[in-house]
Formats: sequence, structure tokens, C-alpha cells
Amino acid sequence: MTEQGIDVRSHHRPRLPAIFAAFFWLGVTSFGGNTAAWLYHQIVRRRHWVTDAEFLSGVALGRITPGSGGVNLTVLIGQRLGDSRGALAAVVALLSGPLAIVLALAIGYARVGWSPALHAVLDGIAAAAIGLTFATGLTLLRWRRVEIGPFVITLATVLCVGVLRWPMIPVILCLAPISIGLALLARRSADA
Amino acid sequence: MPDDTRTLLTLALVFVPLSLLSIGGGASLLADMEYQSVTVHGWTTPREFADLFAISRAAPGPGTMLSTLIGWKAAGWAGAVTATVALYLPSSLLVYGAARLWGRWRGSVWHSAIERGLAPIAAGLILSGGIAVLRVSPGGPAIWIAAAAATVLLLCWPRLHPLALFAAGGALFGLAGAIEL
Repeated sequence: MTEQGIDVRSHHRPRLPAIFAAFFWLGVTSFGGNTAAWLYHQIVRRRHWVTDAEFLSGVALGRITPGSGGVNLTVLIGQRLGDSRGALAAVVALLSGPLAIVLALAIGYARVGWSPALHAVLDGIAAAAIGLTFATGLTLLRWRRVEIGPFVITLATVLCVGVLRWPMIPVILCLAPISIGLALLARRSADA
Repeated sequence: MPDDTRTLLTLALVFVPLSLLSIGGGASLLADMEYQSVTVHGWTTPREFADLFAISRAAPGPGTMLSTLIGWKAAGWAGAVTATVALYLPSSLLVYGAARLWGRWRGSVWHSAIERGLAPIAAGLILSGGIAVLRVSPGGPAIWIAAAAATVLLLCWPRLHPLALFAAGGALFGLAGAIEL
């Protein structure tokens, strides 16, 4: 993660096998429910397939529609990369690995039971995964540190949803019009 | 209708509505899933359900793979696939439709204003997600310290591969656990 944001994406559109491979790897390595952060690292930072702005609007749209935010984000990015077939390839790839792994774990559990050592290892992986989530959020924040308005909106979101645990949808419905209004104003003053 | 087919149909009928009702993440799903699989259909005992939940948390992947495990308990491999598809397909179709509609306005003033306006909220949601996971982690202060250390490491060394950090975290906690035992 560099200081600079990803504002341009690479010009060639990835082929379906490349999309499938990228999202399969994403699925089997996204521990601790941090699909969005890991997707940012793999798809935006490393491959430059989508821009920061496209990623962030996918995160927001994926969270306000029903279903898992990570799966929804995958559908949205897949759709950007290769329309219906891209979305299908990305989602099937994302889910098939974890499906096999979770069943293997269940079968293993039925045979040998659960060891405390495994719990400890998983806690450690989860802690590192949480670190990745925070680092991603902070990187995206730092990217627009020059603008005070968006910074305040981010802080308000963290305070309401993360700290105070208010229901997410009403919070977004309140903050979104303000934030979009700020974006329109910023654009107008940039044009003038 | 054979019993197997009936079970698969029931799984689909249970998970399709959950897919469309689960706004705002998977946490609200858990109570519904438990009610359906333990009380209504008897696919698992309460004890088995708790075990399956623990297993689903150990696996990688987005959101909950708990539906997969409930389907597996109820009707084997076919049940696992049916429950997974039933939980993720309807919501995916919905968001795909939204994406198509949204893409139609690409290039307009409103499209870019909304995209720019949602960006800081999305960054806030990512950070809030980290806080939420931290809050439900069973590991206590050790997890908090390790998560903070990982955050600092990743911000200071952007080239550090997250998987290396995952491995280090797992090894460190595994070792500490072994010494404690």
C-alpha cells in the first residue's frame, strides 16, 4: 500500500480465467471476514483492475443491498471487469474454495474433534486480518487527507457504525446526502 | 417426491428469504438460521449448531459459510451446495441488477458526485467492520495488541505481504498457546 491512491486502472480487460484465478485465491485466503480489505490489496493495489473510486462505491453499494458485503462487492467488481460472465466467474470462484474448506473442516472435526492449539492459531490469523482491515481503511483515508469534508464524514461513519453501533442503513441514509452534496460543491468550486 | 428432494427444496425455501432479508451483514442471520435449523426443521441439535458455527468461523471466505454446513448436515453434499446457492444467489442477482442500472449513468455529473460522496462513507464502513470483528473476537487483549501491531506494520511497510503477516500471527499465537498449555 503506497501513499498514493489508485486513480487509473490498467487498460486491458482481464480475461475470465484470470478473473476466476484472482477471486479463487481471494476466497481461500480471506480470513476473519475481511474480504473487502483483502480484495482491495489483491485487485486494486496489485492488479490495478479497478480504481479506488470504483472500489469504494462498490463497498458502499454492496453494504446497503441485502446479502454479504464481500460477496456483493465481488459481484460488482466482477460486473465491471467482464459483465455478467465476469460477475459469475468472480462469485463462483470466491465461494467454491471456502465451500470445500469448510466441509473438509467439518468432516475433520467429526473425526478428530477440535484442538485448542488450532483455536490459538486461528486467533492469531484473525488478529493479523483485522490489522489488514484497519490498514486498508486508514490508507483510503490518508489518500484524501487534503479535504476536510470527506475526512469528517469518514470519522462520523466510524463513530456511529463502529463505536456506537447504530444501525448501518439509517446512518448511511443520513450521511450520504451530506457527503454527495459536499462532492457536488467541491466540483462546482473546482469548475469555477 | 423422494425425501432427499424434499429436504433440498426445504433448504432452498429457508435460505432464499434469508438471502433477501439480510440487510447490513450476516450477524442478524445467525438467530434466524439457528431457529430454522434447530427448532423448526431439526437439522441440527443446539450443540451441533454451536459446533458448526465455530467451524464456519475457522474457514476463510466472505461472510458466513454456516449455511453450507447446515445444508451439509441436512442433506449431504447436495444440501451443502443447495444451501450455499440459495443464500448467495438471490442477493447477488439483486446487486448485479443494481450494478447494471448504476452503470447506465456512468459519466453523468450525478454519477460521479454520488461515487465521490459514497467513498468516505465506504472507508468508514471498512474501519467499522474491523472494530466489529475485534469486538466479537474471543481472544481478549492479546488480539487487540496483535491487531494494532499488524496495522502499524502494514502502514509502515506497504510492501509487506499480508499473507506473511497472517502466517506470523498464526504461528505466534499457536506458540503462545502451546506454552500456556
